[in-house]
Amino acid sequence: MKKLPIQGRTLALLAIIIPLLALFIYVGLRSGPLAPVAVTVASVESGSITPALFGIGTVESRYTYKIGPIFAGRVKSLDVHVGDQVKAGQVLGGMEPVDLDDRVRSQESVLKRAEAVLQESKARQVYAQIQAKRYEQLLSVQAVSEESVATKKQELQVANAELSVAQADLARAHSDREGFIAQRSNLRLIAPVDGVVAVRDADPGTTVVAGQAVVEVIDPKSLWINVRFDQINASGLAAGLPTRIILRSRSGQILKGSVLRVELKADAVTEEMLAKVTFDNQPDSLPSIGELAEVTVDLPALPTVPLISNAAVQREGDKVGVWQIVDGDLHFSPIKLGASDLNGYVQVLEGLNKGDQVVTYSEKALKVGSRIHIVDRISGVSP
Amino acid sequence: MISLAGRDILHAWGKFIFTGIGLGLLIGVTLVMAGVYRGMVDDGKALLDNSGADLWVVQKDTLGPYAESSSINDDVYRTILAMPGVAEAANVTYLTTQVHKGESDVRAMVVGIAPGELGATPGWPPYLVAGRQITRSHYEAVADIATGFKLGDSLAIRRNHYTVVGLTRRMVSSSGDPMVFVPLKDAQEAQFLKNNDAIWQSRQRTEANPAFNRPGVPGLLDAVIASQNTNLSVNAVLVTLKPGYAQNEVAESIQRWKRLTVYTRAQMEDILVGKLIATSAKQIGMFLVILAIVSAAIVAFIIYSLTMDKIREIAVLKLIGTRNRTIAAMIMQQALALGVIGFVVGKITATFAAPVFPKYVLLTPMDSVIGFLAVLVICILASIIAIRMALKVDPAEAIG
Amino acid sequence: MTKKGIHIEGLSKRFGKGDTAVYALKDVNMQVAPGEVVGLIGPSGSGKSTLLKCLGAVIDPSAGRMTLGDEVIYDDGWKVRDLRALRRDKIGFVFQSPYLIPFLDVTDNVALLPMLAGISNAKSRAKALALLTALDVQHRAQAMPSQLSGGEQQRVAIARGLVNQPPVILTDEPTAALDSVRAMAVIRILNDMAQKFETAIIVVTHDEKIIPTFKRIYHIRDGVTHEEVGEGRAFE
Repeated sequence: MKKLPIQGRTLALLAIIIPLLALFIYVGLRSGPLAPVAVTVASVESGSITPALFGIGTVESRYTYKIGPIFAGRVKSLDVHVGDQVKAGQVLGGMEPVDLDDRVRSQESVLKRAEAVLQESKARQVYAQIQAKRYEQLLSVQAVSEESVATKKQELQVANAELSVAQADLARAHSDREGFIAQRSNLRLIAPVDGVVAVRDADPGTTVVAGQAVVEVIDPKSLWINVRFDQINASGLAAGLPTRIILRSRSGQILKGSVLRVELKADAVTEEMLAKVTFDNQPDSLPSIGELAEVTVDLPALPTVPLISNAAVQREGDKVGVWQIVDGDLHFSPIKLGASDLNGYVQVLEGLNKGDQVVTYSEKALKVGSRIHIVDRISGVSP
Repeated sequence: MISLAGRDILHAWGKFIFTGIGLGLLIGVTLVMAGVYRGMVDDGKALLDNSGADLWVVQKDTLGPYAESSSINDDVYRTILAMPGVAEAANVTYLTTQVHKGESDVRAMVVGIAPGELGATPGWPPYLVAGRQITRSHYEAVADIATGFKLGDSLAIRRNHYTVVGLTRRMVSSSGDPMVFVPLKDAQEAQFLKNNDAIWQSRQRTEANPAFNRPGVPGLLDAVIASQNTNLSVNAVLVTLKPGYAQNEVAESIQRWKRLTVYTRAQMEDILVGKLIATSAKQIGMFLVILAIVSAAIVAFIIYSLTMDKIREIAVLKLIGTRNRTIAAMIMQQALALGVIGFVVGKITATFAAPVFPKYVLLTPMDSVIGFLAVLVICILASIIAIRMALKVDPAEAIG
Repeated sequence: MTKKGIHIEGLSKRFGKGDTAVYALKDVNMQVAPGEVVGLIGPSGSGKSTLLKCLGAVIDPSAGRMTLGDEVIYDDGWKVRDLRALRRDKIGFVFQSPYLIPFLDVTDNVALLPMLAGISNAKSRAKALALLTALDVQHRAQAMPSQLSGGEQQRVAIARGLVNQPPVILTDEPTAALDSVRAMAVIRILNDMAQKFETAIIVVTHDEKIIPTFKRIYHIRDGVTHEEVGEGRAFE
């Protein structure tokens, strides 16, 4: 047997070598590709989810009235500013009449002339009538010739005709005058409804073409949100569903609304469904037109079925399923999925039961036969 | 017969262990360098594996979407979906950009993933380490933990803010940038739309252009601006195949009928490893060779000098009649023991140092085995040189 | 001329060739009987070391004849094939410096020689312990050489030289570093061991303290030896 000094040295050496070897073996087995994969496991719970649809929309006014002239012209005046409240029928501004006023006046003169002509025709017709009557009476006592009577009758007819013409002329002059007045009234920009001025497109002095908007008026009570939903995730979208609205500029506030209608025409290019969502109560300060809003449509709650987190759903080969722990072994179970909600829970219609153990998170991709060890949390993720 | 090598080690154990540790660090550095090389190649493979695709459809005659920029219309996937053998076809965009969180930013590859059937749509992260997958069509993100982001963080990418709802691990681009997954439409906007100033200036320019700002056509300007601000392109379409269909055949048919370029998994690997990371890999490879040679030289030198330290004892041993064989065995045993200690220390050091590196370091068991054999061979060769020196020693030197 | 012991005739050693040849040994004649302790005295450069090296089969002599016991080991050429075995089994060395192996303890330093000869570890250690006891250092048997005093180290070295019971032991200045008391002790031990084991011992020295103890002395000068009768003083 060796005595102490050598034993001491040997002990010291062993004290270094043995931990080193142990560390070496640990390193070999526990790290790198040979190591077991850390996974977290969750139990399948039964529950009922409330699916919801999520879309982004822009705040728009239901009706936008773009008021402008129907002829090319110059803007003469614009009496309202953006934000002004206007009443139906209120004159907001006007176009330059140019020669229209003169034409109206000239037309009035024409009218007067036509009236005068009418009077004249009337007078002649009355006279002709009296003459014709008198000659007829004279004919009956054979004081005048039949030819004279015929002449007087003809004169009467001519006078009647002339009267008609004069009447027609007068009517025409009236109509023309109405026409010019109508045209002149079109020079005035009139608010069709009560509302708020949203945009001033052209300032006084600007030349605008026919149909170009000079001022835009909206009805603030008619604000809605034009929302787009991805078609793939839009099943169940229907009119009347309640919604929660978050405006971009007011991210802390949730406003309530409901789906007014689902548009018949979807966007084929972006593959989105379009819907209109209205506010239940008008917000105190009006949101700006064009502002973005996040809209969540709540669908009715679904019956209770097994649920899993969507993080657990994996694909193996061509099947969709989950990795299940059965008797401590890893096993891929294909499942049939149902609806999902916005919090990441998805229904399992077939393939799993309540209480089954399912792998939710894993350090690496799992394969059949992977060695696993179950942890509470994958390393690197802070609580 | 006692073990002379053992006794010598026991006697000078401090020096021995110390030398072994020094050697071990050198070996560890070499192993880590090999790991860096393998990590680079694995980054490329991880990118391909994580996309979950069998085929990549890209712009004609490009090496995209990773090695070269590729741009195709975002409705191309519909026609591909109709082709025989195709199980799923999904658009995907890739954009390497700075992702901001508060004051700091991180370089990441922003991946735009198309909405689709959960679990079956290619492009989506195949597994998570925390949180959940994206459920909303906008403004949610799944980030890789290498970005340093946590669940609930608010990220800013270009003009939008995203909430981190899930975390992944080992989702990196081929150059090692961590990935951030966002909905496709947001990614398309990020890839195309510039910041607000640029958009405003572009609008001004369009308004100033009389061709677009015609007074007789009121809606023209708005329509032109709107068309300028939409992006209908994606970088690639990822395709998964139904069982029983060969990658090559389906790729061939898509390529022929749709006038696009299609790559199979093997071809993409070739492109990534053979073209994209080839230069960097060669760089690292050369450095690895140099490091290995230097390490070998140092190991040889250490063993040589350890022997030379004992030259007087060797002379005495020879004088008192020790066989050459015995002396040679002592030297070689010591060299091998040193090599083993060095390798053990090196492997441990490499394993603990590997996660500290910013990019992925992959230490394979095969590399360790090869490394171990190489260390042993070098030790044996070095000890042979030392033995030759030892045996040439004249025992007469021991006597005056 | 006895049959045992060591017997050297006409040994010469030349370094170099032709005009530049140097004769370190010209004509050396020695015989030492078993149990005898003789001195070998000479100034530096006289060829002492060369003679030791020839005797120790470390270098090749140029000419002459050496007999060890019954065996002719050299006759104008080595007659023994394995010089190493010769050194290990037939010749013991004790140097001026102990030259103990620093990483072996005292027992193993001595036991190493029989182990090299193939004897089992246990037996080798037993032999070593016996000699250490004879030399009165057994209480240091487990110590490492660095822990021993100079005198103790020297005694261990002597034990190593004796452990294989070789027929001849060559010692080179074994007492040079010792004081007179210890020097005497070493010489006494050498005489005791020589008697006990019937070993012929050649002591190369110029230590005035021990020269009087030799019964026979060989002087060597310029490569030639002369025999002399020594005082043969008894030990105190």
